[in-house]
Amino acid sequence: MTTTAAESTDQAESALLDQHKQFLSETQPAADILALNESAIQRFEVLKFPYRKHEMYTFVNTKDITAAPYVFSYGASVAEDFIKKHVYPGCEKSVLVLVDGVYRENLSDISGTSVRLMPIVEALSQADIKSYLESTVANENDVFACINSAFLNHGLMIDVPEKTQSESPLQILHVSTGSPAGKVTTLPRVLVRLGVMAELKLIVKYAGVQGNYFVNSVLDVLVGEDAGVAFTQIQQDNGDAWHCSKNRIVLDRNSRFHASNASYGNKLTRHHYEVHLKETGAELWLNGVSVLTDEEQVHNFVRIHHAAPHCVSNQQFKNIVDDHSRSSIDGTVIVNEGAQLTVSDQLINNLMLSDNAHADNKPNLMIFADDVKCTHGATIGQINEDQLFYLKTRGLSTKIAKELLTKSFADSLIQTIAFPAVVEDLENTLLKKLES
Amino acid sequence: MLEIKDVRAGFDGTEIIKGITLSVKKGEVHAIMGPNGSGKSTLAKILSGHPSYEVMSGEVTLDGQNLLEMEPEKRALKGVFMGFQYPVEIPGVNNAEFLRMAYNAKRIHEGQEELDPLDFDEILTEKMKVLGMEQKYKDRSLNEGFSGGEKKKNEILQMAILEPKLAVLDETDSGLDIDALRVVANGVNKLRNENNALILITHYQRLLEYIQPDFVHVLSQGKIIKSGEKGLALELEAQGYDWLTTTH
Repeated sequence: MTTTAAESTDQAESALLDQHKQFLSETQPAADILALNESAIQRFEVLKFPYRKHEMYTFVNTKDITAAPYVFSYGASVAEDFIKKHVYPGCEKSVLVLVDGVYRENLSDISGTSVRLMPIVEALSQADIKSYLESTVANENDVFACINSAFLNHGLMIDVPEKTQSESPLQILHVSTGSPAGKVTTLPRVLVRLGVMAELKLIVKYAGVQGNYFVNSVLDVLVGEDAGVAFTQIQQDNGDAWHCSKNRIVLDRNSRFHASNASYGNKLTRHHYEVHLKETGAELWLNGVSVLTDEEQVHNFVRIHHAAPHCVSNQQFKNIVDDHSRSSIDGTVIVNEGAQLTVSDQLINNLMLSDNAHADNKPNLMIFADDVKCTHGATIGQINEDQLFYLKTRGLSTKIAKELLTKSFADSLIQTIAFPAVVEDLENTLLKKLES
Repeated sequence: MLEIKDVRAGFDGTEIIKGITLSVKKGEVHAIMGPNGSGKSTLAKILSGHPSYEVMSGEVTLDGQNLLEMEPEKRALKGVFMGFQYPVEIPGVNNAEFLRMAYNAKRIHEGQEELDPLDFDEILTEKMKVLGMEQKYKDRSLNEGFSGGEKKKNEILQMAILEPKLAVLDETDSGLDIDALRVVANGVNKLRNENNALILITHYQRLLEYIQPDFVHVLSQGKIIKSGEKGLALELEAQGYDWLTTTH
């Protein structure tokens, strides 16, 4: 007997609904979180799993990650050596480890920071957090983030008190343990709130012990007035894994969020950035770099909402695709009515190293104000022959010269990352992928 | 050292150089002058091995070896240096690191050990001082955001580091103000010795006030129409290229 795509999607959806009933009966959530779980699953029923031509998934085939069964994993044991290997130098006393989405105090150390931790379940007693999370569920358009909220149980809230700064960056290490048997799903959830004039340096790293997992993560960052975040996210999952992460950033008056994403790729990675420049004077920088070989995939979906005047958003993405790999960027900047004097730039550069590789770009601007300065552009190219010739006339072999040029293409973005330890690691590992 | 024999060459099937013969011995400086479109840059391109340029006939040898058969990097390792008219910008490639890679490629070719960054830095610092270049150029990306003069100085710095047997400088003087020109010319003069040779390709006589050539050749429509000593450049300056092109 054969099943059509629509039938298998229906089956997957009903399997997830069954799973949700079981989840509620097993975890018996308290009233606040139960309400959130329930409204999220109702939202899921509206959104449904993406079908082939869904506008948000034009370039992404989600067949593997939506297929039932759903087996949720909540934190097997992890060797300490694995953790040590993935904690950046300088973050030893400012690291939070989440294993399969569950915060592990014994593996974490935040003695070097002034942040405060609290389970999201408890944070829901605060009216502003409760109403924020309710509104995100009600307005959720990302079905995977919706699933994360429907099964939200282990989330962690990080409070950065007003006017505090930490010398060393805070690292959040998401470890997925994977499975030798079938696909397991993990649902990491973190909410970060910065008080007025607080400063946070934040590194988020995803790593996997073994493959066969689907990490479906959501990060909310609420940046208070005049506060600033220097943020780097490193996707270094096992190659035999799937990754969806949604980062939702809300920027208050005169606040800053400077983000860099580095992706190693795997079976499928999809980053979703939803940024709200909510009040005047807010500023967003968003850089992304991915280096892909074999059949790896990385897709970026970006929506930036300029809701107030005098805000700035600046995006730059660089992708290197080799072999049969695929990348895509679907990025829209929405300048709302009244968001006058917005400055917004978006630039996407792709370097193709193989005829079989694929890079899709969809830069988009929606402007409803009349006094703004917005640019967007995308390039797709091969190695620049003039640059190659120049290097060869200086005695470098074709192989070395090509490596230098491909590395430099990515390195120019990597070097903008604010953390030297991360830059060094990416130069030694991510760029290593370009060596034949 | 360098023997160019009846070379015809061009671009995309069009013949631009129509039979050039030139002999350059060690210790000599040759200036090649000529109006725009005369084939000066094409000559530089074929000597350095640019893949878009094609040699249709003739031969070029360096110390008896067929230069035209060699890849650009092999020519470089054999001691040919090309100073570009328009040096390319390569964002993300650190200038000092690039210079060390080029220097080490040559050392490995000569059977010597590579230099580590610290030892190389001493050499680099010294050469930059000689050229009057600010140390900040070490940390910048290769030619990225450099002014025209800075790019040309960076070419001469590379020449100073690589110490070539034969340097071909393609319009190194164009676009330079007089101060930058003086720095570039002084740098070149300091690198001259009886064992190396230099081909200066230029549109203007001005550079030759600072770098005294042994021979001047005038190129027009792909041929050398007149060769002489340095006085020829002054005649050209006074009378213009028309003086030669109409009488030949």
